[in-house]
Amino acid sequence: VSPAGSDYTVEGLQPVATLPRTGARVRMPSVLGWGRDRATTTPGKLALISILVIAGAVAFGVIATVAVVTRGHAARAARSQTEPLLRDAVTLYTSLADANAQNTVTFHHGGLEPAGRRLQYVNDLNRASDSLATLARKVGAAAGAPAAVRTVTQGMPVYAGYIEDARANNRQQFPVGAAYLRAASSLLTRTILPAAGRLYTIEAVRLGGDYGTGTATGPLAVLVVVAVLALGLLVWAQVFLARVTRRVFNVPMLLATLVLAGTSIWAVAGLLGERSALTRAQRDGSDPVQVVSATSALVSRALTDASLIAVNHGTDDVDPKDLIRMIHVLAPPAGLFVQLKSLAGGTVTTSAADQLQSEFATFRSDPSKATPAETLHANLQTEIDAAHRRFVSAAADATSSVSGLSIAVPVLIAIAAALALLGLRQRLGEYR
Amino acid sequence: MRRAAALLALALVAAPLAGCGSSSSRAERVTLADLNIRYPPATTGSPAPAPLCGTASLRPPAPMPTPGAMPVGSSMWQIQKRGYLNVGIAQDTEPLAFVSPVSGQPEGFEIDLARQIAAAIFGNKPGDVHFHALTSAQRDKAAQTADDLVIDAVTITCKRRKEEDFSNVYFDAKQQVLVPAGSQIHSVADLAGHHICVTGGSTSLYTLEHVARRAHPYLVSQRSDCLVALQEGLVDGITSDSAILFGLAKQDKYAKIISPILADEPYGIAIRKKYSDLVRFVNGVFDEMRRNGAWRHLYSIWFSSSSGPPRPRYSG
Repeated sequence: VSPAGSDYTVEGLQPVATLPRTGARVRMPSVLGWGRDRATTTPGKLALISILVIAGAVAFGVIATVAVVTRGHAARAARSQTEPLLRDAVTLYTSLADANAQNTVTFHHGGLEPAGRRLQYVNDLNRASDSLATLARKVGAAAGAPAAVRTVTQGMPVYAGYIEDARANNRQQFPVGAAYLRAASSLLTRTILPAAGRLYTIEAVRLGGDYGTGTATGPLAVLVVVAVLALGLLVWAQVFLARVTRRVFNVPMLLATLVLAGTSIWAVAGLLGERSALTRAQRDGSDPVQVVSATSALVSRALTDASLIAVNHGTDDVDPKDLIRMIHVLAPPAGLFVQLKSLAGGTVTTSAADQLQSEFATFRSDPSKATPAETLHANLQTEIDAAHRRFVSAAADATSSVSGLSIAVPVLIAIAAALALLGLRQRLGEYR
Repeated sequence: MRRAAALLALALVAAPLAGCGSSSSRAERVTLADLNIRYPPATTGSPAPAPLCGTASLRPPAPMPTPGAMPVGSSMWQIQKRGYLNVGIAQDTEPLAFVSPVSGQPEGFEIDLARQIAAAIFGNKPGDVHFHALTSAQRDKAAQTADDLVIDAVTITCKRRKEEDFSNVYFDAKQQVLVPAGSQIHSVADLAGHHICVTGGSTSLYTLEHVARRAHPYLVSQRSDCLVALQEGLVDGITSDSAILFGLAKQDKYAKIISPILADEPYGIAIRKKYSDLVRFVNGVFDEMRRNGAWRHLYSIWFSSSSGPPRPRYSG
């Protein structure tokens, strides 16, 4: 017995015997009762299916659009805002660390300072100032960020002043010059660099957040579930229609199914593409930038320690401790060089990793021979620039994977819903 | 049935996605941790008790040994055999001992004393002194364990006399105060309420805390750091020994030493207790320098002073 066919009655023409049942309906008018009533007639069922299809399409449209927009936004933010700011924070830190290394090495070697090293110091200071200016404009009000910017902004001129005091005294051959160098270095390592480190942390966490949002599996899984459910609903509606109307195909609904399936595949493929491109941006781009620049900054710090040990002729107990710590952080078995080596051949050139390691080995065997290796820093900068270019290209892939989807998804879903409704209305019209 | 199939399909789609989502990579975590390593804290050192118990030292040997021929078995013989003399010095204290910004070599009155003693042991061979720079707080430990001689403005105090031996006094310093031109500090009483720079681990800190309780000590680890603090306006004055303040004033035309004396600071060369023969030998070198005018010459070079060396006092 087909319940769909035999249950067909027209309201108001029901047998009197059933009245108590409808009387109950009158007493409790509710959405549930209304739905139950609709579910008993074929036009009612068709109307219910129409509502379900619209609801499914709206749900899918909203979820897909939100997913696509959120991901696109995260990828764009990583590409155009957070990664450039992180690079500024990195430049600020490494330039200041290198500036200090230039100065301490000059004092360590004694005599008149070489013009090249003075120039390198001034360049470092200029690069740090540029990065600081950008950070100050863009870092925003994130927790601790304004205070960190203020600390660096106020500290840098004082640091530079101490360095000039040290030079002026040194030129007059006053031993107090070395004390000014100590004051400068202490201000930098205890106050300015930690603040620059906080800015770096803020930006790194922010970029990590963009990567997290841009590559999260949750929204993708939800999108797949909703797409499967919406497609299932459409297929089920067509199976139902085929049964009640004895027509195998409903062309508009078939088209709606195809459009919905196409949209789903496009959206999921787009998100997967964005996800893999963003993962690549992190793995081949910003991760090497971070490892190489951290290595460079810590090599500068070790160099500074070694020079200060020499400048103080063994009287300070702080710098030797820090030097030991730096060697531990940099050297195998667990140090940054291991990280760098693991990137070598892939995203860092092997020669740069080797050069850094051999430079460090020489330094470690005799820290008193410490000289800032300009070529080394230039090579590291080349690595950083190359990694940044890889980041830019992968991040562009990520944004282009989802570009257009934020407009196409709602439009296509609306078309699919309209087609499905059209198909349902054709059948519904046959009952009028 | 259909729902079960849909769920299975979902599970198949979602499974490969789940494992590879990473918001914070290893590289990022490592970098964050390493760039935020704190610098170790600086140490200054507690005050060295200042009370004095006389300065008498041991009498020199009757005939002084010939340079280059130290008596077998003596402390000097050990040093001669080793080939060099270990001496603890300051590296920033003009005119006593400082590393010259020009030559990068240690220079000063105390350096010259060390070279005279080395010459008396080895004869005139170059490169026979190994200098080790020390902070004020490091001197006592170095004198008791590491160096043959510590010639670093060490005041001969009661406490130190129990732990180390001392040569005769080679410089009669006084603890004084250095202020910038135009300062309102003229007396010890004026120190009250002012920030005064002083080296950690020194007798000057002890004395300041006892004679000027209401002054605010500003502690640094190296003597020249005090001149930075004064020139930066962080302190109103510096208290230290006259010889040290003399050297700081030479580097700043606007600094002056005021006359009040807070304490006597007789300097002796600190030597390990068991090296009493070395103490006698050093006193013998001093006597010879008094006799041949070398001492007066060094005083005139380093202190622009025509006064003679402190008179020797012997107890045994």
